[in-house]
Amino acid sequence: MIYLDNAATTRPDPKALSQAETYYSENYFNPSARYGGGFAVRRAVEEAREELLALIAGEGYELEFTSGGTEADNHAVLAAKRGNAVTTKGEHAAVYESFVHLRERGTEPRFAAINRDGSVDPASLLSLVDEKTSLVSVVHVNNETGAVNDIASLAREVKKKNPRCLFHSDGVQAFGKIPFRLSPAIDLYSVSAHKIGGLKGTGALYKRKGIALPPLIFGGGQEEGQRSGTENVLGILDFLYAASAKFQTLEKDYAALSALRGRIQAILSESGLFTAISPAEGSPYLLTVASESVRGEVIQRMLFDRGVAVGTGSACSSKKPYSRILEACGYSRAALGGVIRLSFCPQTGEEALDAAKLLAETAEEYRRKVSL
Amino acid sequence: MEKVVIIRYSEIHLKGKNRGYFERIFSVNLEKSLKGLRHELHRTSGRWLVEKFEEGYAEEIAGRISRVFGVHSYSVGYLTDSSLDGIYSAAKLVAPRGGSFKVDTHRGNKGYPLTSMEISAAIGGRLLSEFPGLRVDVHQPESVVYVDVRENGSALVFGSFEQGAGGMPVGVSGKGLLLISGGIDSPVAGYMMAKRGMTVELLHFHSYPYTNEGAKEKVKELAKILSRYSLVTRLTTVSVTEIQEEIHRKCAEELNVTLLRRFMFRIAERVAKEEGMQCLITGESLGQVASQTIEGMTSSNAVVTLPVLRPLVGFDKDEIIERAKKIGTFSTSILPYEDCCTVFLPDHPAIKPKLAYVESEESKLDVERLVSEAVAARESEEL
Repeated sequence: MIYLDNAATTRPDPKALSQAETYYSENYFNPSARYGGGFAVRRAVEEAREELLALIAGEGYELEFTSGGTEADNHAVLAAKRGNAVTTKGEHAAVYESFVHLRERGTEPRFAAINRDGSVDPASLLSLVDEKTSLVSVVHVNNETGAVNDIASLAREVKKKNPRCLFHSDGVQAFGKIPFRLSPAIDLYSVSAHKIGGLKGTGALYKRKGIALPPLIFGGGQEEGQRSGTENVLGILDFLYAASAKFQTLEKDYAALSALRGRIQAILSESGLFTAISPAEGSPYLLTVASESVRGEVIQRMLFDRGVAVGTGSACSSKKPYSRILEACGYSRAALGGVIRLSFCPQTGEEALDAAKLLAETAEEYRRKVSL
Repeated sequence: MEKVVIIRYSEIHLKGKNRGYFERIFSVNLEKSLKGLRHELHRTSGRWLVEKFEEGYAEEIAGRISRVFGVHSYSVGYLTDSSLDGIYSAAKLVAPRGGSFKVDTHRGNKGYPLTSMEISAAIGGRLLSEFPGLRVDVHQPESVVYVDVRENGSALVFGSFEQGAGGMPVGVSGKGLLLISGGIDSPVAGYMMAKRGMTVELLHFHSYPYTNEGAKEKVKELAKILSRYSLVTRLTTVSVTEIQEEIHRKCAEELNVTLLRRFMFRIAERVAKEEGMQCLITGESLGQVASQTIEGMTSSNAVVTLPVLRPLVGFDKDEIIERAKKIGTFSTSILPYEDCCTVFLPDHPAIKPKLAYVESEESKLDVERLVSEAVAARESEEL
């Protein structure tokens, strides 16, 4: 199996898993337990917190562990308690649907236009921010196109217009992949473990110190009362080991995947069936292409049966067949029928080129059979 | 005194010499529906009694009984000794606490010292003095306490008749193969044939990879719901991918659906005959979609000899939806899915295809090979 759906989830890093193994085989104590074993586990969790913080943030930040990127996004966005809140049309559902829900809570959601590559139009975003804006959220790397938003500069501009509002970014597709450090104008930043070799069910919210969010989950007061529930110790430690490994080779992987992505794109362009939706300067971890002559999900199933796993840009259902994000980018429905998202990890090698050739062949076969 | 469920059957009494056969099958179906719950099922004159179950399960048992075809009505009540005290202690439990009521007694045991009227009067009188909020109204009572004094020294006491599923016991009317798509109509069609006593098995067509595995999962979910009524046991799936590709490649686009349906009917008939089934069942309703015109049905029927039963043919969509909701398949049926047709769906399907035209287009295909390959590659699973 050639696995090119790493933006959906990644294979758990076996080395990280074996490092973390002790936290389910022996050190399974509750970190809140008041005996030696509990204290030791508590220490491990707190060290993991410090080390994960240090990967992208300075001393001005703290970190809250969550059940994943979705919870981190929800926790950040639902802090918008008054006036309006501004986001983009290019957000992952975890942010987008939270904004839709804000309306019920009495906060007006506003959605900024995005460019054809999926990045936010800064002018549109800033025009929506006013003195009543309580929160702004902009995705760091668009999960469908790979477009990178310059969130540091956007955050600065937003704060110039309204210094009191919170700035959040969904960093799920950026963390551990894109060279980046949190700058002071960014208040909140969501990340997820399983997109970088960690386990599903683990994520974190980076928070500028001093920001107290109303809790979504109540209970024993863990995570400074901001997120109750016994800590997912194994997940957290595994996250630390997986993330540390990623950050060690981040720049090298970035360069290697940039080159690989270029070659894959060349193969697909040559076939004449696909055009790239992803911007050239986007994340090298992701390449989304579209074709008017195929149906993405059919190609996806054919490819899986031939040993290649890829993503599509569209939810596979007859009720909602087109991607909300790509429609907002301005693509026609005809083009959106055939969207394929290839997404990579540092272990992806030359086999991805074979997969790209197979994708082109499969699409050609489909065209021959169906489009005539 | 113990809690019991009383079951009365419909139509079986009409069956004359076949009655014994019908009752045996009915009894087997009742047992199947109660599988997994501790109970005893006894036949008495003209009805069945479910006894010896744990009291907390009365509702579960009644629910399952309510879905067995052949059940005309059922009641949850009490089985007690037939002394007046015994009857009264049960009557107290089923009687209302206020409003108008009457006691309605039926006396199977003609040797009982009191007449039916006297029993009703005695029980009614005691209830009146026990519950001051009650008053008697023998003409239009809000509630009735039914007492049934049986010949064996016991009595049944219950408060209401609940309507059963009606129809005839599944298994007395032969076997049919239901073409099930995953939409709203076909499960209702299967339900209706099962209601008339037919054993129904399922045949589902898919065109993977043009359709996804979700459609099959959905059909399985529907089958599970249907199996609560009709003891559906088997699902057969057949791929029509190659057939659709061939039709698409060689034949007039407007006939895609018409031709595909002819293939489906041929395949279904082949499967039905091999597995000893006597008819095909579809959820077609006249005029509902382009392929469900009389011309479309004629074109499909022309390729098979088995009868094709279309129990919904005269129903409006609203009526079908209402039934699907009642049966419990609606919410599953409306989950998004792609059935066989959508990828190759023509922009303008032929609404009234002439048979000669259909046949001439079809002659471009190797029908026999395509059908036998599809039938040979079918997959079956017990549900």
